[in-house]
Amino acid sequence: MGIVTDKLPGALEKVPGGNVLVTRFDEIINWARASSLWPLTFGTSCCAIEMLMATGGPRHDLARFGAEVARPSPRQADLLILAGTIVKRMAPRLRTLYEQMAEPRYVIATGACTISGGPFIYHSYTTVRGADEIIPVDVYVPGCPPRPEQLFHGLLTLQKMIKEGETIREPGVRRKPVISALPEGITLEDIQGEMKELLVKENVVDVQHAVDKLKWPSGLNEQSSGKSGANESGAGDGT
Amino acid sequence: MTVEVSSLKELVEQASGDDRSPDTQEYFVNMGPQHPSTHGVLRLVLKLDGERVLRCIPVLGYIHRSIEKISEHMNYMNCVHLTDRMDYLSSIMNNWAVSKAVEEAAGIEVNSRIQYIRTIFAELERIQSHQLWWGVLGMDLGAFTPFLYGIRDREVLNDVMEETVGARLTMNYVLPGGLMADIHPNFVHRVKEFIKYFRPKLDEYDDLLTNNVIIQERLRNVGILSPQTAVQYGATGPVLRGSGVAFDLRKDHPYGVYDQADFEVPVGTIGDSWDRYWVRVEEMRQSLNIVEQLLDNIPPGDFLVKKLNSKIKIPEGRYYSQLETARGVLGVFIASDKKDEPYRLHYRSPNFNNLWCLEPMIKGDYIASLIGAMSSLDLVIPDIDR
Amino acid sequence: MEREALQAAVCELDAAVSPLDANADRAAVVVEASALPAIVRRLRDEPQFAFAQLLDHVAVDWIDRGQFELIYQLYSFKHKHFLSVSVFVPRDDPRVPTLCRVHPVAEWQEREVYDLFGVLYDDHPDLRRLFLEDDWVGFPLRKDYQDDFMLDRPR
Repeated sequence: MGIVTDKLPGALEKVPGGNVLVTRFDEIINWARASSLWPLTFGTSCCAIEMLMATGGPRHDLARFGAEVARPSPRQADLLILAGTIVKRMAPRLRTLYEQMAEPRYVIATGACTISGGPFIYHSYTTVRGADEIIPVDVYVPGCPPRPEQLFHGLLTLQKMIKEGETIREPGVRRKPVISALPEGITLEDIQGEMKELLVKENVVDVQHAVDKLKWPSGLNEQSSGKSGANESGAGDGT
Repeated sequence: MTVEVSSLKELVEQASGDDRSPDTQEYFVNMGPQHPSTHGVLRLVLKLDGERVLRCIPVLGYIHRSIEKISEHMNYMNCVHLTDRMDYLSSIMNNWAVSKAVEEAAGIEVNSRIQYIRTIFAELERIQSHQLWWGVLGMDLGAFTPFLYGIRDREVLNDVMEETVGARLTMNYVLPGGLMADIHPNFVHRVKEFIKYFRPKLDEYDDLLTNNVIIQERLRNVGILSPQTAVQYGATGPVLRGSGVAFDLRKDHPYGVYDQADFEVPVGTIGDSWDRYWVRVEEMRQSLNIVEQLLDNIPPGDFLVKKLNSKIKIPEGRYYSQLETARGVLGVFIASDKKDEPYRLHYRSPNFNNLWCLEPMIKGDYIASLIGAMSSLDLVIPDIDR
Repeated sequence: MEREALQAAVCELDAAVSPLDANADRAAVVVEASALPAIVRRLRDEPQFAFAQLLDHVAVDWIDRGQFELIYQLYSFKHKHFLSVSVFVPRDDPRVPTLCRVHPVAEWQEREVYDLFGVLYDDHPDLRRLFLEDDWVGFPLRKDYQDDFMLDRPR
């Protein structure tokens, strides 16, 4: 029986009749949130073709990251992928859409226009200079438009942030936004290779690693002290 | 003679106030700007009676980025880059339109190699644009499979073009006075491979969607646009040709090297959504023919006759140039005052004019027909708003 | 028809039409504002012109001359020729009769020009802002338009 120890941190214990996984609510909820982000189809201009259509298409396939259930309604979505320029007239509508999304909600700003106004900054009487003037943004994915691989990198970054950061005790607390520029030399093949590696890893249960990763309040977990947790492997770390 | 300036609010209030009929009530439904089948941020205010559409008021401006104002502060080489972001599905043709206008005005002669490459790329991009439209039309009508097929083949073509251009969507390839780069050594070979790959796929498209009874029912006799209305409402491109007017700038006023290629201009018969669908699918076949004929005859030469980033000055006057993009006639108007920046740059965008055909097309029809009819117009909203 | 012949033929239509030579690459004429709808209607209906489609409508703000130039691009499917019709209106009172009754597409093209330049079209059935909000102040494509939001490019 394979359990995704990498994505679902917990201590695995052998009990009669099967395995029991011990974890914390925070971690399991964050794991669930990170692994099934439902994006809102919000595309205003060019980036929409790359961010929503090409990624949803058969080659790049957003479904590999558990984020393919694109919803047209903000009520059913928790990830806002901003794809395209935001202008003054759209700004209040974008704010409304953001407010209508259920908590916890995450925002990825893709493309130069959404991040800063891009080529439409100077002498423009309508272009809003960055979506973060209107709504809080978690991950910035630069490019004009970014390649689908870059969106995946941004998505993996966001998943990592969710897994590490937000807890159910403090649902609104957000870390500092990050810029998820694809490092030099990263190609689709690299990301595919990484994904393959992760899939292989999912079939191998590393109990000790899972126990090591779990940081119990002091006194409850004697096992974890002093063990070497060298094989750190977050989803976005391999790059 | 009087001038009255009104607002959308007044218009809606006034129209809802005058309904006094006892049996049915007319009401307004807002569609967009965040709607899955308006292809972006188009907003339609629909006046309905039951399920019948009585009026359809497009409300624009949700992606109005003031490209024309920005262009007044840019030199002609830089203006080209903004046009990618207008109709992003025919970005090379947009680049070409501006380059053509500037070249004609400044008297820059480009060699025939440049013209050949431009023409081939424009046709490849027309195919690419229609592939996406085909997939999205299926998705709009509730079938997800065509979308996967369309995007699958689009990626194949994208790879071929990316090798030369270096970008996937906003290609930025054509400049006043030439091209950004020469074609990749593999280009000719890979395009031939693509043509061999894509021809049978078009038959597959026919099997999947064209001959599908549901699609036929949804498109046939829906959204009929008579040739007179199409002309009066300013339609061009496949919308006009779907209505039976065989107007194609590639044929009627040839530019590039279209006069050296032998191709047909497909026209519809009655102007319903089906005709517009058929015209576009047929155009993909014709574009393959054009590319096939031109591919082996690319003459040797330079790919750039003007230095990159050189300042181009245009003599004083007004210039107008146009070409046929995947959606219709893109016109570029330049008013020059002898500087290297345009005094006024205006784009006659095909989508802006095609959009207004929507109301005569679906007036009195069901609201469900609106989706199919709108999809058959193949609108790109940033091109409307600019 | 050739460019010069077309230009001459159009100018013979009415006293309100005169030729325009400013390096334009196609036949171009200037029409007095009051005569515009009648002339354009004749250009559409008379078989030797047959200008069936209004391709485009552009405004240019010639601020030094204190004039708006309104340009109508006409196309004839029958004869495959183009014509550009210009109308000059004063900048401080920009009024021109509408072409909606002749070419329905003018309704929206004129709305765009009203929105961005503030040119008023007499008898226009539905003169509203097109791209900007109804409560927008000013007409942004005029050369002297300035607001607090706009940024100048640092040189």
